[in-house]
Amino acid sequence: MPHRLSGLLLFPLLVGVWAFVAEILPPQSRYLFPAPLAVARALWESLGVLWQGTVASMMILIPGYILAVLAAVLFGIPVGATTWARHFFAPLMRVAAPVPPTVYVPYAIALLPTFRASAIFVVFIGAFWPVFLGAVSGAATVPERHRDNARVLGFGRWEYWRRVAFHAALPAIFNGMGVGMAMAFILLTVAELFGANVGLGHFVQYYADFADYPRMVAGIIYTGAVTFSAMTLLAQLQKRMLFWNI
Amino acid sequence: MVAPQTGAATIGAINIRGVKKTFTHQDGSIIEALSNVDLSVAAGEFITLIGPSGCGKSTLLRAIAGLHPVDAGELTLDGEPITGPAAERGLVFQDPLLFPWLNIHDNVAFGLKARHLYREHKAEVGQFLKLVGLETFGKSYPHQLSGGMQQRAALARALVNQPSVLLLDEPLGALDAFTRMNMQDEIIRIWQERKTTMIMVTHDVDEAVYLADRVVVMCPRPARIEEIISVKRERPRARSHPDFLQLRGKLLKILDFGGQEREPEYRI
Repeated sequence: MPHRLSGLLLFPLLVGVWAFVAEILPPQSRYLFPAPLAVARALWESLGVLWQGTVASMMILIPGYILAVLAAVLFGIPVGATTWARHFFAPLMRVAAPVPPTVYVPYAIALLPTFRASAIFVVFIGAFWPVFLGAVSGAATVPERHRDNARVLGFGRWEYWRRVAFHAALPAIFNGMGVGMAMAFILLTVAELFGANVGLGHFVQYYADFADYPRMVAGIIYTGAVTFSAMTLLAQLQKRMLFWNI
Repeated sequence: MVAPQTGAATIGAINIRGVKKTFTHQDGSIIEALSNVDLSVAAGEFITLIGPSGCGKSTLLRAIAGLHPVDAGELTLDGEPITGPAAERGLVFQDPLLFPWLNIHDNVAFGLKARHLYREHKAEVGQFLKLVGLETFGKSYPHQLSGGMQQRAALARALVNQPSVLLLDEPLGALDAFTRMNMQDEIIRIWQERKTTMIMVTHDVDEAVYLADRVVVMCPRPARIEEIISVKRERPRARSHPDFLQLRGKLLKILDFGGQEREPEYRI
């Protein structure tokens, strides 16, 4: 069996440990720690609601994430490729990028007219910084001889950004996009815990309030599966676009 | 095939007068990278620049390319002052520096696209790929090609801009000995066909003598032109011709690698 598939063996193993722990717990604790079978049943029964929640969540995640990637790349490549701009924005990047974007959630919800707009905004902030930092460092570290070469071949500034710096920065941009995707999911669910009436984060919060732990755990596992699918999709895209980067 | 140029070359004459260039190190010390260099290169001439490291040969080449301004003196191409990089002065580096995300065809087409000339000159990309013997590799990516093939592609990429001067910065330095000799012949063939002025930096004495119309020997401290040696030999040349060994010896002597001279001893 190839090494990369061996990791899949871990999942049945974890479920086995989970079933075992649920079995040996005293009966009065079982409702706090539901067994795999109870969770599977809850998951099956909730699939319709969870699917609706997925659609609602994606309506926030996709626009927020795509806007973040576009803005980060369009802005990050010129900044990274221009020495003075890099120095000019360096302090801002050092201050703003490490702020955990979750702190913006309550304020964004208060500030923006609808929940959806504020949730898109926080997803945007969360995904923007990692991609932006990737684009800046990628465009800044283009080998000098590539730059000389582009100049000798008659390139203007814009052509250089578009045809050289962007491509050279793509590996770094994709690294940032991976981190940004994880941030986007975290912020999405946090925002939904706060203020949504539909969506994946809302589902988990809702059943936690009712102490319906099988459904809550089912919601967590389902959210995990959605995140995993999104990350896999991104990895596929990366593999396809960076075929030359070996 | 790209139409070979007929008759003698009429463009690509370079004039260098009193060129000086200094670099300031981070610790404040000043390095004289070129001190008062004069050189005239005729249209269509093949010049090799040779000398130990620090002699300013690469600095001079980059100054002709327009990649860094000089502190004093003047550089002209066909009477026009050189103020910055331009496609009429093609440059090939030691490292082929192909863009890894583009296939060979698109790498060669790169300069044309940048200058919005691709549409009219599309067919020439294939012709120049053929000129360097890569006509069947257009769809390959750089990492699939050997070092020698990558360097051929880099040559085609510079040539497709139809430069009047081709500047070569140790383009064969990273290749093995046989590929290297092969590429030297290839460069001579392209030069004879295109009549492009060639200025090549090398630190291989054999290469300098084999290729050049004139070998320009440079020396460091201060970085300057020490001597210019004409190689008045017909082409194709033979690498083992006695005249060659004599010129080689002369060059090595100027470069202080002459060694102890003795009478030949035939005891084979």
